[in-house]
Amino acid sequence: MNGLNVWTVVADIISSTIVFAVPLLLVAMGGMFSERSGIINIALEGIMIIGALMGCLMMRWLDPLVVNGQLGSQLAMLIATLFAGVCGIAFSVLLAFASINLKADQTIGGTALNMLAPALAIVLTWVVQGQGQTTILIPTWSRITEANFGLTLEKGSFIQALFFKNFYLTTILTIILFAAAVILMYKTRFGLRLRSCGEHPQAAASVGINVFKMRYAGVLISGFLGGIGGLAFTLAAGSGFQSSVAGYGFLALAVMIFGNWKPWSILGASLFFALFKVVGAYATTLQKLGTVFNALFGWPDKIGIKEGISSYLWPMLPYIITMILLVLTSKKSRAPKAEGIPYDKGMR
Amino acid sequence: MSEYVIEMLNITKEFPGIKANDNITLQLKHGEVHALLGENGAGKSTLMSVLFGLYQPEAGVIKKDGVEVKINNPNDANALHIGMVHQHFKLVEIFTVLDNIILGAEPNKMGFLKKAEARKKVLELSEKYGLQVDPDAKIEDISVGMQQRVEILKMLYRDNDILIFDEPTAVLTPQEIDELMEIMRNFTREGKSILFITHKLNEIMAVADRCTVLRKGKYMGTVDIKNTTKEELSRMMVGRDVKFEVDKAPQKLGDVVLDVQNVTVPSKLHSNNAVKDVSFQVRAGEIVCLAGIEGNGQTQFVYALTGLDKMSHGKITMLGHDITKAKIRERSKLGMSHIPEDRHKHGLVLDFTLEQNLVLQRYWQPQFQKAGFIKNAEVRKYAERLIKENDIRSGQGPITVARSMSGGNQQKAIVAREIDKNPELLVAVQPTRGLDVGAIEGVHKQLVAQRDAGKAVLLVSLELEEVMSVPDRILVMYEGEIVGEFNPKETTVQELGLYMAGAKNMYRDVEKKGGAEA
Amino acid sequence: MKKGLISVLSSVISILIGLLFGLILLIIVNPAQAFPKFGEMLTAGFSSAPKFAKVLYQAAPLIMTGLAVAFAFKTGLFNIGASGQYTVGAFCALACAIIFQMPWWICLIASAIAGAFWGFFPGLFKSLFNVNEVITSIMFNWIGMMAVNLLCMNLLNKDGKNVMLPPAWVSSPIKDRTAALSYANPKAMIPKMGLDKLLNSNFMNISIFIAIVIAVIMWVILNRTTFGYELKACGFNKNASIYAGINAKRNIVLSMVISGALAGLGGGIYYLAGTAEYTIQKLLLPMGFNGISVALLATSNPVGTIFSALFISYIQVGGESLQPVFAKEMIDIIIAVIIYLSAFALLTKTIISRYIRLDKSNVNAEPAPAAPLKTDDKPTSKESEGAKA
Repeated sequence: MNGLNVWTVVADIISSTIVFAVPLLLVAMGGMFSERSGIINIALEGIMIIGALMGCLMMRWLDPLVVNGQLGSQLAMLIATLFAGVCGIAFSVLLAFASINLKADQTIGGTALNMLAPALAIVLTWVVQGQGQTTILIPTWSRITEANFGLTLEKGSFIQALFFKNFYLTTILTIILFAAAVILMYKTRFGLRLRSCGEHPQAAASVGINVFKMRYAGVLISGFLGGIGGLAFTLAAGSGFQSSVAGYGFLALAVMIFGNWKPWSILGASLFFALFKVVGAYATTLQKLGTVFNALFGWPDKIGIKEGISSYLWPMLPYIITMILLVLTSKKSRAPKAEGIPYDKGMR
Repeated sequence: MSEYVIEMLNITKEFPGIKANDNITLQLKHGEVHALLGENGAGKSTLMSVLFGLYQPEAGVIKKDGVEVKINNPNDANALHIGMVHQHFKLVEIFTVLDNIILGAEPNKMGFLKKAEARKKVLELSEKYGLQVDPDAKIEDISVGMQQRVEILKMLYRDNDILIFDEPTAVLTPQEIDELMEIMRNFTREGKSILFITHKLNEIMAVADRCTVLRKGKYMGTVDIKNTTKEELSRMMVGRDVKFEVDKAPQKLGDVVLDVQNVTVPSKLHSNNAVKDVSFQVRAGEIVCLAGIEGNGQTQFVYALTGLDKMSHGKITMLGHDITKAKIRERSKLGMSHIPEDRHKHGLVLDFTLEQNLVLQRYWQPQFQKAGFIKNAEVRKYAERLIKENDIRSGQGPITVARSMSGGNQQKAIVAREIDKNPELLVAVQPTRGLDVGAIEGVHKQLVAQRDAGKAVLLVSLELEEVMSVPDRILVMYEGEIVGEFNPKETTVQELGLYMAGAKNMYRDVEKKGGAEA
Repeated sequence: MKKGLISVLSSVISILIGLLFGLILLIIVNPAQAFPKFGEMLTAGFSSAPKFAKVLYQAAPLIMTGLAVAFAFKTGLFNIGASGQYTVGAFCALACAIIFQMPWWICLIASAIAGAFWGFFPGLFKSLFNVNEVITSIMFNWIGMMAVNLLCMNLLNKDGKNVMLPPAWVSSPIKDRTAALSYANPKAMIPKMGLDKLLNSNFMNISIFIAIVIAVIMWVILNRTTFGYELKACGFNKNASIYAGINAKRNIVLSMVISGALAGLGGGIYYLAGTAEYTIQKLLLPMGFNGISVALLATSNPVGTIFSALFISYIQVGGESLQPVFAKEMIDIIIAVIIYLSAFALLTKTIISRYIRLDKSNVNAEPAPAAPLKTDDKPTSKESEGAKA
């Protein structure tokens, strides 16, 4: 058994899955708000990068205060998270302006922002940290530990691994935001109006709804969620911010499509994808898990993939699975009818 | 109190290069049905957009009860209790009936919807006016007639008392039209005022009190229906006498060109079949018309006939060749031409030039290409000939981008292209949709010329006047089935209406009566 | 050529605003150095023959990825997967060169085939299942990059030495990049034909001419052949093309295959120069994404891509002279701003033509409604319902 506790590995996988599902869920929900208002938001990747950058910078700035005990660590996290969201909003205004006011091609505008964001991140990182310093490190206080609750748990125990190994404020926030999003989308006047703009903006306009305003709202909400999602991703990835979110914005778009633009389905899809991401990212852990299974069920060693190859193969998995699922679910997929089409007042 | 509830005085609205409304006056009295008559492109829609605040006029004023008002957006219009049933319904397909009715005027508490309250009010209204709807059904699942009732309920829900109906009868059967007229009269009895936009003279004569006529953006006058005739109205609308009949030579029937046997087409929307077991023949030298209310399977049938979509069952033979599974290009080579229903979806590549569009069906022929290279000079020559022969007007001739052409000229280009192919079978789907009277006459002449030249023509039409005047034979389609066959000279609009509404079925009735009726 | 002139003008305006934005950013970051460095950046490409050679050297693959994106645009597809196709193409060219010891032109063909293969899937998924090609090609970018990494690191010869990496050829500790062609297989390098001596740069070879010839061929295909006519009909209005008997599904796949081949060829051209080795990547290669900029600046005109690629390459070479005072990513910001602006090129064009008043002959026609770039089956024109004037 190599001294490995099966339950710890299981707890590990569950908690890692959740921590990776959080950014996917946030960002995919962001995409949902934008697209159901009628704007294709391909810029989510860029928005995530900006959110992650600004969130990490804020943590860096707050670090001395937290270390000196002048500021509670989770209060600092809250500030950083909200800052990430606000900066996401600011960045998404660029998309909203181009695609709503100027009726630009939404895909191209989004692509431009996706190119802008990492370049901007690198330049800003240089400016803040000095030449050639391309990684912003994440302070250790960002994680919520058992100590925050005054608990002492054995390191590596099931409970500790399940709840406190990968526990961040963003996880709690995401649960709250998800519930709020569901209510906002289906129980309020705002949600009804937003959805009508993505389906039939002319109908919405004919009953006096301001389509421009609703679409702005949709894009800005996606900016907020995308920004926070970017920070959540960087926290989950764990190795600091390097001006990239590794295509997660696009994965989130795929999750949104796979989730059929509906919050509950998106939740399911996010967890599903995150599981595969964890399988990839924790290739070595998995290798260990394989050993565990071998020990438990007596699987022949031949099934195991060579370590050298597997570390390249596993990371591909989420992307390949995404592809397959998109193809398989393409028949049922139903995008908002008016997405991608600029709304023109004169066109009735 | 003013005699008029709404007055639009001396309205002028210009678009670049065009005066869509030129000094137009429209006065709506309390409790009257007022018709607004004009051809396609006469400026009716623009005038209504001005009333709804979608456009701001360059000149003119709008008065409500004699007081000048400013309408900047649909909300302002709504506040003045003006409501409208649009020609193309403004309904969100995936929403329920209830959601559609309350959209924009949602009862709420702190932004949270109060649906129970809304439902109660909708059911009350639906009861009171006899407008049956299922509040929880999705729009995409209900019939066009019910969708129209939803639109009417939308107005009533907002307590509107000035009701505008924009071409409301295009999607209804003659019987449904009668019901709608009755509902309108009910409304006026309650003191509501109705503005009824149409280009159908019979309906105006039947229901309206007064009528305002527009022509090419200009105001032609307002008349009392009591003191006028259909002929006078049509002269005001078109500017000259209009013949309601089409000249045709005596028929010389030839061989069977098209033989359709038991064609069944599955529906894209639901599990039911859109076209059910349709069989008929079209012979050389005749025009056969497929008539019916919109959405009864005509579109899907034509898609299957022309190869745009697959059928699940049946056989189509053309000139002795089985074309059931033939590709579109093969059908075209056999001599099938197709004037499509939707000229923007199928008929034209709007971002291509006129000349590129004119060779859309022929660019691959040796006349226009050699070894895969397009012979531009030949294309130009051909385009110039078609443009001249068919009087297709455009800004820059062959190199005009199709998108910048007017709808009428776009349609002329399509008709010219399809007829110049010299087809054996011409499938013309609503070939006169959106055209003015002159252009309609032109298209009808071309269809008849094809027939007289011994070609087969299959006309699909929703316009009853066209159905009665152009074809030699009428087939009525209802819910995907052919329910009756008529000779236009021996039938009436009322009889056709009963079949179009599904109230009668020649073939089922025959079965019941054991073949007694022929 | 009025339309052409307006397109060029609108691109030039986008470029000028983008550069201005870059300058402002430089001033904010470091006011003292901003102006001299900006000037250096603008002139670097012409400052010496080797620098100019580098502009041409980088422009060649850029033309190819630009053509790839532009070609797909013409068929109504957004091939954001040029990066993956480029990477896969590069790998296959290098594999042919290093493992199979093929001459350069066979390696180039291999790169085109590999790129085509990588473009085939998004095209197939789009045409059969209507899966958004943007999402699929992004996924294929990552899959492609990781697959190439995997193969580079794990292809072993009999001795257990890695065939793609230097250890198989020379005793070298380098394990993160492929073997240099100069000793692995010199005949796989694209011929220089004396151009290297002319411009005094090892970077220089005939690849820029290959790229230009291909660009011209693409222009001819799109504008003079029935195949191009069909592709464009398909791109502007898929339904109408089907109605005209054109096999739209096949054309979508073909268009992505050709687009992929062009991008793959770009990868081949770049790495077969023998001056750069493929390095194991953690992020997607930017060449494919810069192809998007090239295509947009050229308003998807194949001949235009030659000029826009030269421009992008020129300011990228200039960007290197910004270092170390500024990050060279400054250039990427400028390029991103330029694309952002060209996203609403239509608006820019309308404004330009309003000022120039070139379209005098068109007074009789009805006002043309603004059209989005892609014409789907969604209604785009006012004609059918509104503006009945």
